[in-house]
Amino acid sequence: MPLIIKDEYPEKLFREDGKRLDGRDIDELRPIKMEVGVIKNADGSAYLEWGNNKIFAAVYGPREVHPHHLAKPDRGVLRVFYRMATYSVFDRKRPAPGRREKEISMIVSDCLEPVLFLELYPGTSFEVFIEVLDADGGTRCASTTVAALALADAGVPMKSLVSAIAVGKIDGEIVVDLSGVEDKAGEADLPCAITWYNEEISLLQFDGDMDIEELSEFMELAIESLKKIYQIQMNALKSKYITLKEEETKEIEEGDK
Amino acid sequence: MMDVKRIISKIEKSYIISNLRKGERIDGRDIWDHREFNIKSDIISSAEGSADVSLGDTRIITGLKYEVGEPFPDLPNEGVCTIMAELLPVASPLFERGPPDEQSIELARVVDRGIRHADCVQTKKLCIKENEAVYILFVDMYVINYDGNLIDAGSVSALTTLISAHIPEGKIGEDGLEWTGNYLTGETIVNELPLVLTYGKIDDIIFLDPNLAEELVCDGKISISATENKITSIQKSGAATFSIEEIKMLCKKSIDIGKKLRNELNLLQYKTEYK
Repeated sequence: MPLIIKDEYPEKLFREDGKRLDGRDIDELRPIKMEVGVIKNADGSAYLEWGNNKIFAAVYGPREVHPHHLAKPDRGVLRVFYRMATYSVFDRKRPAPGRREKEISMIVSDCLEPVLFLELYPGTSFEVFIEVLDADGGTRCASTTVAALALADAGVPMKSLVSAIAVGKIDGEIVVDLSGVEDKAGEADLPCAITWYNEEISLLQFDGDMDIEELSEFMELAIESLKKIYQIQMNALKSKYITLKEEETKEIEEGDK
Repeated sequence: MMDVKRIISKIEKSYIISNLRKGERIDGRDIWDHREFNIKSDIISSAEGSADVSLGDTRIITGLKYEVGEPFPDLPNEGVCTIMAELLPVASPLFERGPPDEQSIELARVVDRGIRHADCVQTKKLCIKENEAVYILFVDMYVINYDGNLIDAGSVSALTTLISAHIPEGKIGEDGLEWTGNYLTGETIVNELPLVLTYGKIDDIIFLDPNLAEELVCDGKISISATENKITSIQKSGAATFSIEEIKMLCKKSIDIGKKLRNELNLLQYKTEYK
């Protein structure tokens, strides 16, 4: 079915002044906002706004495995379900989960598993639900980041947090954190995630073309940005407890009166 | 984490009921009070209209998308507005993954019927060319947190989404479908504002806007959708029975409380200005 406005990409991805279309420098991230404990029913949850991306993640577990045959007698299982809302993209997405969503669910699950102590939870499952309500490029990286935060909020023992970012190439230049337009019209896209306990790469995909030198440049740029993202994640986790502490102090003060 | 269980203990149930008998609620509300609504509109940049509505701790985020398609043969100059709901597994341990279940279909259907029969969406304004091209609107509701009474939250969420709409206006030109450069906004699309109010019933006690605990112990519910002076749809669900006197009383209440709520929420303030 045709839409009235077409989804067209510009020819150039840099402005006259050398900045990217949204006004960023090549090593600049979009504005990122994270919050934990946003879904009261969940054991742990987090919300992320990353540019125009808006993503909720919720963790339930450890709980009974359903269907039962997936349970493992010697360890717990981590199951990640990445979903996009129908209205999160330009053309309405079909409501049923597609191949892309299933693939991303799998790679995010594989990315997060190394930081968990699943052997401590035999016969149970941790389920991480990721709901992308608004998408504008880099949702798999944003989802990994917010899912790690939700696991931490749930108090699941973890070796460390996990942070993720996409680097890529647009109009021949290497840039960080591709927006939706840059992702579609650019030449190369490399999403990656780092597990901080050993500082190794836990999620890696690549589409496009590059030579070996470019790969080093990509990774260098990624590591710099990942450090910034880690800081935002830590701040989000801490700020929940700062708020709780403030509330508690207030209650005690009121009690004294 | 809140304590969410499929089954409420007998002692908690009797506590809820004995409170209701005294005209009190476990969360301090009066029998005919609803929880506070918290509304934000046009929050999703990819959608042509959206709303984030909380009713107490129940939270629904709704978005609007459109397609252009052929009209139904019997309504050649009218567009179509469809409503879908999904009870996301993030929202509650009671919700599971998978295709829509009865509860989510009921939510979508009740909200849809409340809107459809109330002269709310101006389907004739959604026609681009008779017999050829009309707008098909998709209002998709996603439940983010579940603390009872999805229907009332969903109806406000769907309405706010429609009011916040900004759909590119099309015309049939020489090369087929073209954009006029203007937008159809909620002001054009929405006329009446029907509000759904849901009442729970335990034994012979009836109360407005059941929260999750009350919803789990109640015998059944009745949802009544009303405009300024007319009832537009009713849905009785669960195993409760209602006397004719009770139904009359609730219909009257729905119009009265609805009137007050409509003024309070002032949903038309959420329309978006698009040139």
